[in-house]
Amino acid sequence: MRHPSEGVLRRLVDEPAGVTDDDRAHVAACPACLAALDTARADARLVGAALATSGAVDTDAAWARLSTTTATAAPRPAAFSSRRSRWRTTVRRPAIAALSAVVLVTGAGVAAANDWLPIFQTERVDPVEITSTDLVQVPDLSAYGDLEVTKEPAPEQVADAAAARERTGLDVPEVAELPEGVTGTPAYQAAGVASATFTFSAAKAAQAAAAEGEVLPPPPAGLDGSSLRLDAGPAVAAIWSQPTGVPTLVVARVVAPTVYSSGVPFETVRDYLLSLPGLPDGLADQLRDLSAEGGTLPLPVPAELVTSSTADVGGSEATVLTSRDGLFAGVVWVEDGVMTGVAGTLSADELLSVARDLS
Amino acid sequence: MTAPLSVAGLRPARPERTGTGTVGISRDRTDIRPDLEAVFRSDYPRVVSIAARVLGSRDQAEDVAQEVFLSFGRSSVPVGEAAGWLTVAATHTALNLLRSGRRRSAREESAGDGPTVVPDVADLVITREERSSVRAALARLPHKQAAALVLRHSGLSYAEVAAALDLSPGSVGTTVRRAESVLLKELNRHASPE
Repeated sequence: MRHPSEGVLRRLVDEPAGVTDDDRAHVAACPACLAALDTARADARLVGAALATSGAVDTDAAWARLSTTTATAAPRPAAFSSRRSRWRTTVRRPAIAALSAVVLVTGAGVAAANDWLPIFQTERVDPVEITSTDLVQVPDLSAYGDLEVTKEPAPEQVADAAAARERTGLDVPEVAELPEGVTGTPAYQAAGVASATFTFSAAKAAQAAAAEGEVLPPPPAGLDGSSLRLDAGPAVAAIWSQPTGVPTLVVARVVAPTVYSSGVPFETVRDYLLSLPGLPDGLADQLRDLSAEGGTLPLPVPAELVTSSTADVGGSEATVLTSRDGLFAGVVWVEDGVMTGVAGTLSADELLSVARDLS
Repeated sequence: MTAPLSVAGLRPARPERTGTGTVGISRDRTDIRPDLEAVFRSDYPRVVSIAARVLGSRDQAEDVAQEVFLSFGRSSVPVGEAAGWLTVAATHTALNLLRSGRRRSAREESAGDGPTVVPDVADLVITREERSSVRAALARLPHKQAAALVLRHSGLSYAEVAAALDLSPGSVGTTVRRAESVLLKELNRHASPE
C-alpha cells in the first residue's frame, strides 16, 4: 500500500477519527510513516507555540467600548476620515486599500496606446455595497503584480483657506450659512496628489492562483508587464469641530481619481482582473456594471452601517449617505472632475442645504 | 473546543440590486441586535485570542474584535452560528490587517510580548524575533492557506475549516501542513529535517 499523504498524517495529529482505517493501520505498521507523523506533530506544536499569545482581556471594558461605539460612532466616508476612534481606523484602512483596487478595476474602455493614456476620468460617484466579508475577500493586488505608491499626499493642517489654495490650487468651498449647532472657525487641511502604479505580473498572478488551488485564466496578449497608474488629489478640507474635538461639519474638495494605462486596452485589463479568483461574485458584477457606464467612481459603502440615496446638487447628481443610526450623513458629487463632499453629524437635509449653497 | 462550531453563516451575502448601475441597499437594520451583549460576553476573550494569534498584538487584536462584534451586532447571523461566524470573521479581518502592511508598526507590542513558554514542552521557548518573523511569513502566505492554519490552530475541526474556506475536506490537512512548513522555516531551528 502507498504511504498516506502528508495531509493525512497532519490530520492524524488532530483528528485520528477523520482518517480512514486503512491509513491508520498502515501508519501504525510503517516506521517511515510513524517517523513522519512524529515530525508533523512536533511541527504543529512548534507553530502553535509561535502563534500563541498570553494575557488576560478585560471583557467589561471592551463591552463598554463597543457600547459607546454602537451608541455614538457613525461611519465616515474615507475622504473625511478622522483618526479619533481606533475601530474606525481599523475599518477604514482596508476600505482605502479596497478603494484603490476597485478604482483600478473600473473605468471606461479606451483603445490601446503606448504611452500613459487617460482611460478613466471620474464624472460621478456611485455607491457600491461592500460588506466586511466582501472587503476581506477583495484580492490583494500585490498578489497579481507590483503596486507602487509613487506619490504620498502628505496631508497637513494649514493656517487658512488662502494657504490651502496656495498649496493645492483648489478653492476651499465657502459655506453660505452654517447649520444650527455648527459654530466657530474651521480648521483647514490640504493634501497633495497621491499617485500609485500597478504593474501586472503574469508569473505572480499564476503563483497566487496556484497557491489558492485555482487555475488562472490565460492572460491576454500584452498584459504581462503592462501598467495602470492611479492619480488622485490634490485635496482641501474645512473642518468645524465642537470644543470636545468631535467634528460637526466637514466640507472637502478633491481632484477626483483618474486612471492611466500603458500598453493594453483598459477593458482587457479590467475584464481580466474581474475574472481572477477571489473577487466576490456580487462585487465583481457591480464593478462590471458600473464600469460599463464609464466615468463612474465606485464608492465602497459599508452596507452594514450606511444607507445611500441620490439628490440633485446644482444640476449634478449627488450621492447621499446616511448612517443607519441617523447620527451622521454625507453628500458627495462630482463636477468637472472635481469631487466635493459635505459631511457631518447633521441630518441629510441640513447637509444638502449646505451643499446647494456652497460658493 | 467541545461544541462544534457552525460556519454556515459566514458565506458572504450577495448585494441586492435595484435599478441600473446603482446598488440599492434594501436591508433596513439600524438597530443593534439585542443578544449582542450575551454573545459578546461569552465569546470576546476567544475572538481576541484568535486575532492575537494572527497579529501578535493584544491591542490590535482587541481592535479587530471590536470591528468583528460590531459587524455581528448589525448582522442577522443566527445565534447558534455566532461562535463559528465570529471565529472566521476574526481570522479574515486580522489576516487582512496583517497583510495590509499598514499595521502601526511591525514591532510586536507589550501584552504577552515576552518569550512564550509552552508549559507542557519545556524546551519550546519562542523568542520575540522568531514570533515577529513567523508573523511576517504568515502575512506573505496566500490568504486561504493562512486562514486554514489560523482556523485550525483556533480549534476548528477539519470539516469546519473546509466549510469556512470552501476547501475540500481532504485538502485541509495538506493546506495546513504546507503553511506550517513555511512558518517553520522562519524559526531558527526546525523540528523537521528539511
